[in-house]
This record gives sequence, structure tokens and C-alpha cells, in this order.
Amino acid sequence: MPKDINIIFQIAGIGIVVAMLHTVLKQMGKEEYAHWVTLIGFIIVLFIVITILDDLFHKIKGVFLFQS
Amino acid sequence: MKWFGALLIIITSTWAGFNLSKRYRERTIQLRQLKVALQALEAEIVYGFTPLSEACKKISCMISYPLSEFFKRFSEKLSNGNRSVSEAWNESLQETVPHLCLNGNDVEILTQFGATLGMHDREHQQKQIRIALHHLEREETDAKDAQIRYEKMMRNLGLLGGLLIVILLF
Repeated sequence: MPKDINIIFQIAGIGIVVAMLHTVLKQMGKEEYAHWVTLIGFIIVLFIVITILDDLFHKIKGVFLFQS
Repeated sequence: MKWFGALLIIITSTWAGFNLSKRYRERTIQLRQLKVALQALEAEIVYGFTPLSEACKKISCMISYPLSEFFKRFSEKLSNGNRSVSEAWNESLQETVPHLCLNGNDVEILTQFGATLGMHDREHQQKQIRIALHHLEREETDAKDAQIRYEKMMRNLGLLGGLLIVILLF
């Protein structure tokens, strides 16, 4: 359980930092970089979420199909 | 141990950001000093009738480190070598550019100015110095603009980038 809480905090942290990076870059007139940074942050978060979801599906499979 | 590593990463990236932002600030300062130096050179040539190597030695005492090194080397090369003025100028420029924060345009202006140095009489030389000063003026405005825009950004970027890496690795 503590690991899951940590992951939530990690994703929140990534979100905050990427949002700040976006604001800083946008303020200085580098909008194209800002968009790239946001996109890359999004992809990283997506990766983390997909890994966890994969774990969940495997568990469900294990429960209902008696595989492990 | 984990916290120590995180702290190390953040400190390093912040330091890198500060270093990058320092380059912008240094460029403005160095361009201003270069202008002062050229104005002094003009005064020495037009009103003081000083030989070039002595004038450059005087100038190197007037300004601060990275640029003073350039004028010092130039005057040394002039006084104890058998190169032409523009060769000596270019050589000392090549040697000192890695220590300066100037970009390609600034160096190009200096190179072109060096090619005219010692080729003409006093009045033409004054005109050439005026032209170089004019170009440097434009570059300085440019550098100030870039400094205002990017100096703060680089600092923030360093800190935030470090924070992002730490969160990702945590």
C-alpha cells in the first residue's frame, strides 16, 4: 500500500513540475519547447500509469482464470 | 542516502542553470567593456598619437579580466613578433575567444575590425573604429534583450529540471 501512495505523489510532483516548466518557457516566448515539455511529461506519466494498470490486469487474470 | 543523492542532483542542475544564465550576463558586460576599450583606443590613436602596442597595453590595464587578457596578448604579439597587425589581432582573438562569452557575430565584428587595423591613416582608422563601435552597440542591445529574456529562464529551468529528474528517479 505505501508504494501506491508514493506513486500518486510522484505523478502529482511530475504534474506540478511540468506545469511550472511550461509556464516558465511560455513566459519567455519559447512556446514550441513548452508544448514539447508538456507532451513528454504526459508520456512519462502515461508510462507509469500503464505499468500499474498492467499489474492490475495480471492480478485480475490470476484471480479469475486461476493463472499466475 | 536517497535524500543525499536527490540533493546532489538538484544542486548540480541548479548550478548548471546558473552557469548558463551567467553567460548571458557576461556577454552584455563584455560587450560594454569592449566598447569602452575601442573608445579608449580611438582616443589613443587620434588624440594621443600612441603606438598601437602601447595603447593596447594601457587598455588592458583599464578593463577587467577576460578582455584585458586579449589586449595584453595583442600588445605582446605586436611588440615582440614579426607578424602583421591583423595576424596578431586574429591570433590573440583565437586564443582568448574560448574564455569569453561572445557569440559568432561579435567575434566576426572583431575580426573584421582587426583586418582594418593599422592599414589606414588616422582619420580612416577613426572611421573604422566608429563603424565597429556602431556594430557593437547593436550587438549590445541584442545581448541586453537576450539577457532579460533568458537569464531568469535558465535559472528556473535548471532548478525545475533537477526537481523533475529527482521525482522521476524517486
